[in-house]
Amino acid sequence: MQQTLEVMGQVCPFPLIEAKKVIEDLKSGDELVIQFDCTQATESIPRWAAESGHTVTNFEQLSDAAWTITVKKK
Amino acid sequence: MVQMILTGLLCGALLGFVMQRGRFCLTGGFRDMYIAKDNRMFYALLIAIAVQSIGVYSLIQLGLIEFSTGAFPWVATIVGSFIFGIGIVFAGGCATGTWYRAGEGLIGSWIALFGYMAMSAIMKSGPLTPLNQSLQSVQLPKNSIAESTGLSVWVFISIFAAIVLWIFIRELRKPKVVIPTMKPKRRGLAHLLFEKRWHPFFTAMIVGLIAILAWPLSEATGRMSGLGITTPSANILQYLVTGDQKILNWGVFLVLGILLGSFIAAKGSREFRFRMPDTKTGISSFIGGNLMGFGASLAGGCSIGNGLVMTAMMTWQGWVSLLFIILGTWTASYFVFVRTNVKKKSLNSGTSITTV
Repeated sequence: MQQTLEVMGQVCPFPLIEAKKVIEDLKSGDELVIQFDCTQATESIPRWAAESGHTVTNFEQLSDAAWTITVKKK
Repeated sequence: MVQMILTGLLCGALLGFVMQRGRFCLTGGFRDMYIAKDNRMFYALLIAIAVQSIGVYSLIQLGLIEFSTGAFPWVATIVGSFIFGIGIVFAGGCATGTWYRAGEGLIGSWIALFGYMAMSAIMKSGPLTPLNQSLQSVQLPKNSIAESTGLSVWVFISIFAAIVLWIFIRELRKPKVVIPTMKPKRRGLAHLLFEKRWHPFFTAMIVGLIAILAWPLSEATGRMSGLGITTPSANILQYLVTGDQKILNWGVFLVLGILLGSFIAAKGSREFRFRMPDTKTGISSFIGGNLMGFGASLAGGCSIGNGLVMTAMMTWQGWVSLLFIILGTWTASYFVFVRTNVKKKSLNSGTSITTV
């Protein structure tokens, strides 16, 4: 299953806080797609994913100051 | 005048560029010590302080620059720093952070910046000047830690540098987690400057070097100090409403340079876009900006003026201020992030989840 979290327009640390909340309700192997535009989150979200053992399956810039990252729950 | 404009803008632009690319966010750093148990950005700040301290006291020793620490307005420093710490959480960035985020196109930071400049001017030359002055008049005679203890300042710099070196080595020895990155699209210098993730400790060393550079550049124009954000920010507004050119100083061009440098960095790395906050974020930014301006004016400095510069100068004001900024940040973080999380596990406005 794949869920999309749309946090465009939210400033740090909210994109990460929301992502942490949403991933709690997912099952292992489910994917969470996060769409965000907070620059600092390009650092904080992949770091959180790596440190908590989730896998990043996609990470790319969509356009100017807009990114998408897909985190697969461990 | 031309020299002041050029060297001020240059120094500010370097700082803005490095902070934007290095994601040097002290608000996030102080906040994450508490909500994420992550001290990396705080350690980075300590590195920047140590580099600056060694550099600036070497310049003083060589007689190249002058500095006097003055008295220690302890009540104003404690109260102001705590309020400043609360303000930076609501504003989503400290004073410098707000300047460089404004350069990334965040309208919320423009709002915070306006509140910050206005309240600083109100505190420094407006109706709240008497309150500011009366709190600042409660002073201890000596601000320099070295003078208070009768020891050489180099004793404190050496001990501090040794602690920082120990933290640095310990952190670099920790097993590395591989952080996923985006596929690089550029090569060479363009990749290093506009794409690659910078290690916070590397960024901190550059910030420390820029902080050293600020001293001789500023003193050459008659402003006997290093990096400073709050007074110059107030000065911009004071100049705009009075037209008095005497208000313009090196610091004014420094802060304008931060905006410029961060814009160049953000534009070059495709991270610039005008972004309008929702009403809630906009109001929070405005309140945060005002608290920042009130607190920093009272404390005699923001997280840069006190937290980076006065700490490096080994003053009571710097270290007491840093402590209370951090405590203020934690207090606000408790109410904004921790408590709301426990109370309602609902989502923030503006968030949507779709399931496929």
